[in-house]
Amino acid sequence: MISSILIAVAVLSVLALVFGVILGFASKKFKVEGNPIIDQVETLLPQTQCGQCGYPGCRPYAEAIANGDKINKCPPGGTATMEKIAELMGVEPEALGEEAQASVKKVAYIREDECIGCTKCIQACPVDAILGAGKLMHTVIAKDCTGCDLCVEPCPVDCIDMIPVETTIQNWDWKLRAIPVNVINPEQEDKRC
Amino acid sequence: MLTLLEQLDKGTLWRSPGGIHPPELKSLSNQSTIASLPLQSRFVIPVPLVGQQATLSVKVGDSVLKGQPLTEGAGFIYLPVHAPTSGTVVAIEQHGSNHASSLPVLSCIIEADGLDTWCELTSSKIEQLSKADILAKIKQAGIAGMGGAAFPSHVKLNPASEIDLVIINGVECEPYISADDRLMREFSDEILTGISIIHHLLNPQRIIIAIEDNKPEAARAIESAIRRSSLPNDMIRVTVIPTKYPSGGEKQLIQIITGKEVPSGAIPAQLGIVVHNVGTAYAIQEAVLQGKPLIERVVTLTGESIGKPGNYWLRIGTTVEDALSQVSFQPESSQKVIVGGPMMGFALADLNVPILKGTNCLLTPSQAEIAPDPDEKACIRCGECAVACPALLLPQQLFWHAKAEEYDKAASFNLKDCIECGCCSYVCPSDIPLVEYYRVAKSALKNAAEEKLQAEQAKIRFETRLQRLEDEKNAREEKSKQAAAKRQANMKSGDKDAVAAAMARIAAKKAQAAEGITADPAATTPDTTTTKAAIDATSAKKTAVNAAIERAKAKKAALATQSQKDNQSDVATVTTDMPVDTIDRANDKKAQIAAAIARAKAKKAALASDSSATNDVDGVQTRDTVNEVNPAIEMDTTIAAIPVDDKKARIAAAVAKAKAKKLANSAKQEEL
Repeated sequence: MISSILIAVAVLSVLALVFGVILGFASKKFKVEGNPIIDQVETLLPQTQCGQCGYPGCRPYAEAIANGDKINKCPPGGTATMEKIAELMGVEPEALGEEAQASVKKVAYIREDECIGCTKCIQACPVDAILGAGKLMHTVIAKDCTGCDLCVEPCPVDCIDMIPVETTIQNWDWKLRAIPVNVINPEQEDKRC
Repeated sequence: MLTLLEQLDKGTLWRSPGGIHPPELKSLSNQSTIASLPLQSRFVIPVPLVGQQATLSVKVGDSVLKGQPLTEGAGFIYLPVHAPTSGTVVAIEQHGSNHASSLPVLSCIIEADGLDTWCELTSSKIEQLSKADILAKIKQAGIAGMGGAAFPSHVKLNPASEIDLVIINGVECEPYISADDRLMREFSDEILTGISIIHHLLNPQRIIIAIEDNKPEAARAIESAIRRSSLPNDMIRVTVIPTKYPSGGEKQLIQIITGKEVPSGAIPAQLGIVVHNVGTAYAIQEAVLQGKPLIERVVTLTGESIGKPGNYWLRIGTTVEDALSQVSFQPESSQKVIVGGPMMGFALADLNVPILKGTNCLLTPSQAEIAPDPDEKACIRCGECAVACPALLLPQQLFWHAKAEEYDKAASFNLKDCIECGCCSYVCPSDIPLVEYYRVAKSALKNAAEEKLQAEQAKIRFETRLQRLEDEKNAREEKSKQAAAKRQANMKSGDKDAVAAAMARIAAKKAQAAEGITADPAATTPDTTTTKAAIDATSAKKTAVNAAIERAKAKKAALATQSQKDNQSDVATVTTDMPVDTIDRANDKKAQIAAAIARAKAKKAALASDSSATNDVDGVQTRDTVNEVNPAIEMDTTIAAIPVDDKKARIAAAVAKAKAKKLANSAKQEEL
């Protein structure tokens, strides 16, 4: 009687040991570096690096969201981004602020004859999209500009405009301007053929 | 079981899924031969944007000849555009495009001179040309797929893999259009010559010319042309396929002819199949044998609003407006002008847009032909669209997701495989413009993908920038650290030198003093100095330290006494001291001045000590003061002796000056 109890205890102990070793090995072998949720949130953010959320870049905001910050602080991403983050984080969607509602993609433009070449905007640009040198005219590399607004404020002569991105054939969105497709009356058809 | 080739030879056909049978309405335009229109006075040639590697080779005011290339470019899929007639480039500007959006694109506007003079054309025989030459000629002629998609033909004629089967697409399944039909009837021999060039380039096992059974004349014309042609008759054949829309779609045609399905995301070349349009074959023949670039094509101008419907040779760049004005176009109120057929075409918002290489039809239907858009009604889930879909998609699901703007879900139902044929819209009993929803969804997905790419790039740039700033900061810190270390090293060695020199001089002075002890006029003071120096000499280290301390003390004392005197005498001492400095002239000015000041101070100190000695100040201070005199003078001689060590000396002088200043300040403070 007592031996069967001992056997049971021994077997369970051995099992516990074996599983403990397996779990320990697995936790080492399949260790997840960092917090994957941060990366997931970051991929949803628009990467304008504008700092309008109050954090110095998109990754810090992603980290803040992962730590429970509000999800409605990203004006460039707009409602679409906020909803995606809400879905990912399993929280209720929150309305964006008033000014964040109208998010038209913009790009900075330097009025080049007014530029004095102070390099202040170059230092402000988070994505190095402004080209120029001291006392020489600067210009914005439009395709790399994220439209973050950060260069507008430091400009001492206010020569930077944020202009909405022009619609071209490449980025034109099909509007529902339908070509009528209709069944033609068989009588008419016979008449014609 | 027959092999595929045997089945192809037998003309076996497979069923393609879906499809519809809309009224054909081709008889409206296919009754007359292809006509030419009088030369227009103005042409609009959009500059190609493919790869955006094209550069304009003409400028405003240039006169151009018919067939002269207007652009240069290097990219693999770059295609040049050519002047459609001789004339002058009057403008290069943004001009409305032949696109559903009508958005302006950069275009060359050419004013015709009416002469229509060809540029120099190099005609050649196919035997004389290598394959690369032929491909180059096709590229230089700017030949794009004439079926509608306008994909550069030389790319399709230079595939990476082996091609077993070439299908020449003469199906032309869309209602109204009869351009290829007429071309096959009238130019069958030229088309066959083009096909033989394609054969020469690709060397396939079989060539199938596919023609729908509603074009028997075209099929007969091509068959007789095959008999006349030099191509081996056992490897080329006409396969007549049943009329069904959209059999002329590339993937659908392959399925009908071979039974193979082109996988999603793949191109037919991966199955060893290439499809070319009959119009392309004709253009290839013109380009290779006669050197003519693609500057005109057959366009079907049809619809009840056109008085003389038919097929016309239209120059690429003719505006729709000009073309229609030549064929008795009588627009109704709210007249639609559709580019392409009624199924896949798009309505133009502006008629001042050019005919392009892929424009095969202009359709101007009357209200009775094509009624205005009926209102969209609710989907009743009848499933007709799924039956009609030739790509075996689920149009209903796509529609729900597209309407709800859940584009990624629509994408998961293979939205990208939709060929936008319009079958689903055609059969929809609720008049839902399904294809429009798909187009909206597709462009939204495309833009989203683009944005994602941009976001990734922005992220990379942001991170690179952070890295760069970090590196710059580190480099700056490193540099300043190095500079500090260097400064310190310099200072140390300078001090050491000074101390060593001072010690040497002390020794020298001691010897000198021992020699000329009696010659010295001021007998008492030198005496004490010598004794003090002798004591110092016994321990070198002590000397150095003591010298410094004493110097400081002396200076303090000197300053204390000096402050009693007025500033005038100060200036006087400095000025009287100046001539002594002439030896140092060769040295740096700064060092000179510093040394001069140091010396002047020393002198002052000496004077002060003299006066204080008479004023019965204690002996220790006197000794100190005299000791102070020595190092100061010694430093001067060091500077004078080693002019090579200019910088070092300067630094030493600067350090001495700084020290003096500090001492002076502290002395002043004490005094206050």
